[in-house]
Amino acid sequence: MMKKAIFPILILILSLVIALGSQTFLSPCVHEDGSFGSCHWAGRAMLGVGILLAALALLSWARKDAYLAVMPAALLGCFIPGTLISLCKMSAMRCRSVMQPAMILLCAVIAMLALIGYAVNRKSNK
Amino acid sequence: MNAFSLAIKNLIRKPGRTAALTLLTAFLALSVFGGSLVVSSLQRGLHSLESRLGADIIVLPASAQSKVSFEKLLLQGTTGAFYMDASALDAVREVEGVEIAAPQTFLASLKADCCAVKVQVIGMDQETDFVVQPWIAQSYSRSLGDMDVAVGCKVEADVGETLRIYDENCHVVARLAPTGTGLDTAVYCNMDTMNHLLAAAEQKGVSHKITSDSEETISAVYVKVKDGYDIDQVNSKLNGHVRKATAVRTRSMLTQVSDSLAGVSRTVSLLIAAVWVLALIILLIAFAMMAAERRREFAVLRLVGTSRRGLCRLVLTESALCSLAGGLIGIGAAAAVVFPFTTLIETQLGLPYLTPDARTMLLLGALALGVTVLVGALASAWAALRLSRTDPGATLREGA
Repeated sequence: MMKKAIFPILILILSLVIALGSQTFLSPCVHEDGSFGSCHWAGRAMLGVGILLAALALLSWARKDAYLAVMPAALLGCFIPGTLISLCKMSAMRCRSVMQPAMILLCAVIAMLALIGYAVNRKSNK
Repeated sequence: MNAFSLAIKNLIRKPGRTAALTLLTAFLALSVFGGSLVVSSLQRGLHSLESRLGADIIVLPASAQSKVSFEKLLLQGTTGAFYMDASALDAVREVEGVEIAAPQTFLASLKADCCAVKVQVIGMDQETDFVVQPWIAQSYSRSLGDMDVAVGCKVEADVGETLRIYDENCHVVARLAPTGTGLDTAVYCNMDTMNHLLAAAEQKGVSHKITSDSEETISAVYVKVKDGYDIDQVNSKLNGHVRKATAVRTRSMLTQVSDSLAGVSRTVSLLIAAVWVLALIILLIAFAMMAAERRREFAVLRLVGTSRRGLCRLVLTESALCSLAGGLIGIGAAAAVVFPFTTLIETQLGLPYLTPDARTMLLLGALALGVTVLVGALASAWAALRLSRTDPGATLREGA
């Protein structure tokens, strides 16, 4: 039971870190004049990806096939900040120095956990 | 069955124990690799700053604030705009012992159209410059034309793109090699482009003039002292001769940076040492507990014919395998944390920070792995020795 639950729990925690972090401690640049740069929308997109991943993590608790959906969703999260949605033009800015690496790292770890979780579940079912 | 396959089976049979030992050694490798990477990056950053500064003396406007601003610009990449009359350049050149005097003018852009950050624009005289020009030459062999700019590696603009500064289009013709200093966040242009941008800034209401009638202004003069002249003496002469300006020896600036770097390196080294001592103690306790727990298992192995040496080899192989796996995990985790967050580390430290080349990083990784495996083996050696010396018959009778 524990073996089956550990991967969805870890994925759920990391997904919540993505969703909540993208709006708080891992948020993109805060503009003094209240205007938004494109990095703001990258942060919003990561909120969506985080919620999607959290839902898939709960689903994968019940159905191991859901791990297969976690992997592409996490990979999508890797490409959103910087590739699919452009960020600010200075590396030293918060969106590039904090949000982008943190989101890529978290999504990569989630994809890896989903892969291991799927393999472990498949092996134990055999 | 040989010691290696038996060790593998033992490790798989007790996943909790194996995971705990692996995690512990992973923590060790993480601290060694991560710590040494940071220290090595700081040292490389300092060397890079030394080679980039190139000048013996820098003449800045007289206010104390400009010196602080210049150091921040150099180390942290914050924007700075301080000016003195261009006649200061002639006054510098008049001083005996000055071989080359190269002026630079700084301008902080308004928020660029890309993002809410000011970009530091540095204008230099291409004919006399000996500080930035050799650096630009590494990436761009020609002279910068009018409205051409070379960008530091941390300005995310590719060659061919256009940067808008004070509503003027500047063409990016080169991206410069990283220096690990604040210079990486600046944009470089020739003096004509700078004068054009200064005029554009003036139109936007950003004044750089010292007095209303001053025509030309500069921000700093980089001085190279002739061979045979004492740099301190030339520095004093410059301070006496150039009005409303302060001459600063670059070495004194570098000494301050070097002192800060030594402080950070010392702290990191102390932390690594503390982690190591703690981990070594925990490993010793863990192996001692493991030896006590597995006394009967080893006694049976001895009774079925395993030699003392074979038993030692088994324990050492198990610990070496755990340490190897832990070492690889720890190095991987350190790399996953340190490399993506390089800019953040650099910003937080406020010191020159330049990641070492691939060869040095591989060397550091191999060193961390080797040391971790060695420590794991040493910690288990004592337990292995104790186990091999116990009488198997007595051990089994005790438990009966």
